[in-house]
Amino acid sequence: MKPWLALALLLTALGARAAPGDARPLKLWHAYRGGEESALVQATGLFTSKTGIPVELLALPYDAYAAKLTNAIPHGVGPDVFIFNHERLRNFHAQHLVAPASGLMREDYFPNAVEALEVDGQVYGYPMSLKSLALYVNTKRVPHVPETTNALLTLLPALSDADAGRFGLAYESGDFYFHAGFLFGFGGALFDDSGRASFDTQGMARSLAFVKGLQDKRFIPQEASGALVKSLFNDGRAAMAISGPWFAGEIASDVDYRVVGLPVVSETGLPIQPFLGVETAYVSARSARAEQAQALARFISLGEASRVRATVGRQIPADVAAYTLREVREDTLISSFREAARHATPMPNTLEMARVWEPMKLALRAVLQGGTAPEDAGALADRRYRALHRVRPPEASPLPWLGLVGMVALGGSVWVLRRPAAAHPFRRRYPDVARAAAYLAPAAAGLAVLVFIPFAVGLGMSLFHHEAGEYSFVGLANFVDILASRGYRISEPLSFYFTLAVTLLWALVNVVLHVSIGLLLAMLLKNPLLKLRGVYRVLLIIPWAVPNYITALMWKGMFHRQFGAINGLLVALGLEPVSWFTRFSTAFAANVVTNTWLGFPFMMVVALGALQSIPQELYEAAEVDGASQWTQFRRITLPLLKPAMLPAVILGSVWTFNMFNIIYLVSGGEPGGGTDILVSEAFRWAFQRNEQYGFAAAYSVLIFVVLLGWSAFTRRLTRASSEVVG
Amino acid sequence: MSSPLNAEHDLSEVTLSGIKKSFGQNPIVKGVDLQVGEGEFLVMVGPSGCGKTTLLRLIAGLEQVDEGEVRIGGVRVNDIPPRDRDVAMVFQSYALYPHMTVRENLAFGLTLRKLPAAEIASRVQEVAGMLELSHLLERKPKALSGGQRQRVAMGRAIVRRPKVFLFDEPLSNLDTALRVQMRGELARLHRRLGATMLYVTHDQVEAMTLATRVAVFNGGLLQQVGPPLDLYNRPANQFVAGFLGSPAMNFLEASRQGTGFTGRGFTLPCPADVPAYPNRVLLGLRPQDLRVVSQGPLAGTVDAVERLGFDGYAFVTTEAGLVAARFDKGVSVAVGDTVHLAPVSDALHIFSADGAAALRHPEQQASLNAAAGVAS
Repeated sequence: MKPWLALALLLTALGARAAPGDARPLKLWHAYRGGEESALVQATGLFTSKTGIPVELLALPYDAYAAKLTNAIPHGVGPDVFIFNHERLRNFHAQHLVAPASGLMREDYFPNAVEALEVDGQVYGYPMSLKSLALYVNTKRVPHVPETTNALLTLLPALSDADAGRFGLAYESGDFYFHAGFLFGFGGALFDDSGRASFDTQGMARSLAFVKGLQDKRFIPQEASGALVKSLFNDGRAAMAISGPWFAGEIASDVDYRVVGLPVVSETGLPIQPFLGVETAYVSARSARAEQAQALARFISLGEASRVRATVGRQIPADVAAYTLREVREDTLISSFREAARHATPMPNTLEMARVWEPMKLALRAVLQGGTAPEDAGALADRRYRALHRVRPPEASPLPWLGLVGMVALGGSVWVLRRPAAAHPFRRRYPDVARAAAYLAPAAAGLAVLVFIPFAVGLGMSLFHHEAGEYSFVGLANFVDILASRGYRISEPLSFYFTLAVTLLWALVNVVLHVSIGLLLAMLLKNPLLKLRGVYRVLLIIPWAVPNYITALMWKGMFHRQFGAINGLLVALGLEPVSWFTRFSTAFAANVVTNTWLGFPFMMVVALGALQSIPQELYEAAEVDGASQWTQFRRITLPLLKPAMLPAVILGSVWTFNMFNIIYLVSGGEPGGGTDILVSEAFRWAFQRNEQYGFAAAYSVLIFVVLLGWSAFTRRLTRASSEVVG
Repeated sequence: MSSPLNAEHDLSEVTLSGIKKSFGQNPIVKGVDLQVGEGEFLVMVGPSGCGKTTLLRLIAGLEQVDEGEVRIGGVRVNDIPPRDRDVAMVFQSYALYPHMTVRENLAFGLTLRKLPAAEIASRVQEVAGMLELSHLLERKPKALSGGQRQRVAMGRAIVRRPKVFLFDEPLSNLDTALRVQMRGELARLHRRLGATMLYVTHDQVEAMTLATRVAVFNGGLLQQVGPPLDLYNRPANQFVAGFLGSPAMNFLEASRQGTGFTGRGFTLPCPADVPAYPNRVLLGLRPQDLRVVSQGPLAGTVDAVERLGFDGYAFVTTEAGLVAARFDKGVSVAVGDTVHLAPVSDALHIFSADGAAALRHPEQQASLNAAAGVAS
């Protein structure tokens, strides 16, 4: 009886698999929140009620989203449909993650939206909504909206009063996403005919000169962040702002505003053309039910679904028909943005595009914060671009390596086998090995997973070159490139040696300051007559207790050129405010100040403990012998502190050497990567310069080698000084 | 600068006038006047907490007086820091600099005063030789024994040729044999250097053997100062009498009755030279002046016996209290025996009833010397 039952169940299961999977839900992934998410739920609900096919939604956090897609789809466990912006299309296409939009009809959508989704003549994905920059205008302060840049320039003086902190216009001037519109409006192009990025153009120079002019005349704030723009506009201290649809949700209710398209550049007659972002519904190339997935993707991009997304989600629909609907037409925000988007250029979806950001950031910084002339900035960006766009190293044969590994393994096994047998078998020598292993297992497992395996993987990866999802073996080419400083001079910030020098200087300066300040404060605190000792101790430990990235962000804010507390203090003292992040020395100093604030409590605590272990009698004996306070410090305190401070100094030096948070968050490597240390440089190669994982891994291996040498050296130091106090 | 060690000690007398010192609410030194002559070896003794170490530190300058004046060589030094007072101190725990070799420890004070290197080297050599440290010069303190560290600490003081040497219980961390040996060395050192030395200890044997004069302190006040035997034979009050000598003097309450003193369970004849006495007195009898006899004024049961080889002490419970008495080698005494005790001739010390003043001391002194030498 039993075997028949089992067989019957098995057949049923198989049968269920074979039957049309109408009943199983389609999987849709997205990164929406709030209103946009509710709109999507409603839209897919409409699909289900129409077709009977259920849809299972999954909301993902934005940072991990792309990585998850890359990992899941090729293994067949990804979504059927996913929503993403269009910039990554080339990457998705190269990694074979997306299928062409088979059901798409071009006339349903705005042309530039469809254009954005084209690769080699084929359209991948269904355009859902548009994102571009527009001009937000405070209607109370600006009754007539400027339509040209000349009109803008006429308006701005009356609206600006930099001493009172008021500006006619506020936007994130240092971000290329915002500057692109000006570049195109001044007739500049980002790519040449062959598709490579080209920066040294007339349009680039003119657009930079224009923006620099605005800043010099103090019509726009310096070093503006999104948060600053928002607060200025909401306080009424910025009459106009340039931002995207997301900004609408951040405006205070008491501000009356309009959204209009960006003005036309008077010199060229071209409108300012910001980048257009198209949020797209992609169909996975590995979907088991392609037809239904295509139907779903198409559905949510048109018709009722589109209306719901516009009204509930406040999105700007990409389909033409939506604008015939009354609710959409009458929504001023949506139609304003639609108007503004009319002149937007789709952000190119090529790989080249991803390589443009860092050079442009450099150029903008150089012009706006540094002293570079607008005509020269293009060349600057060009050089950086060429340095970053590494020539692909030639593929190497892994055979010699495998041969080496084989030989080592062979030699190792021969050595092991030829060793004389142990006098006692292993079991007898270590009878408790099982129990010992049980105690060690959890920690060993943790170490293996968190330290050893990643290390081995990194080591291996340094021998490969990664591009668009493909790894190719290149042997030691990465190391050679780094150490030969290929593509840039040794004295340039991108060079390994420059960065190494900066890192060493960084570690040295910091440790010296930490120890000096920590020791000084410990000497002050150890005096038992000092009242409120407990209070002082707590106050000094707080820097240590606050998470260091919060500290870093606080200090970064304090170093802001216009609104920072440090410059405020300098001005109050009658000094000139300093532009902290435009010169290496001041940017480095800002980093050092922040890290010192963070680092001295550790040294102080170690020193305090060590000081309290020195018997008071030694000082008395020295006093009677004739030693002054200073001599006592030099001849008694310092030598006796050494055994305790030395390990602390070694530890501190290694921590500081790899202090990523401060460098990344405070100076951000400015100016031009000058204050980047080895570890932040490696990070950029891996995650900001087109995923050059192999190169970054090679960098990391070199960092490891440097620190290994340092540890060996310091181990000898500690051994030498360990026999002092008996 | 190359003169022998014992030459430059003019103006090295120490004078303390009206010294008072409190720590917080606790008065430690309550008014001390003391004069230490040039080349003297003054030992300050007393129980723990009596203020002797504080006084030493006040002289060194490690503490500041609340009231009073300290003079060294006639110069008032109240406001002068330790390093300028030209004193050297040997600490109880030696306070050797652990990170320096013996040579560097010895030379430290000299290098601070910027003496020429040759001078420093020669002085260090001399002192190392004197204290038998020559073969230890390159060692660090943790590689030395207790006695060796002691000598390094002393050497460090000697090499500086200060006006005054201050010793703060330097032998208390040593074992008995070493202590005896070091005591001898200290005495030799004093003879050789002829320097003014102030020495603090709670050990009365050290006081008796090392001092030219002994100063006894109790409760922050000076009880008596004088040559050791003076204090032993003619203690100024009950405290000094009970402090010096081991086992301690026996004290018996008594009242005058005719030609004798009567106490609980005993009567002792009153000495002839005694003037009019108050009715109630405190009698003092050293154990060395009492013998176990077949018939005597004091009687009791033996509570404990200490046999020391050539003699012994019996601790006898009498009606008047616990009395210690000496017995010779040949005498057999056992715990639980009933014994009689009798004083040798003219052994009676008489104190006022509250013990604060001495009224009479025995005339014979020579025979009492031996007891003082018994090791503690």
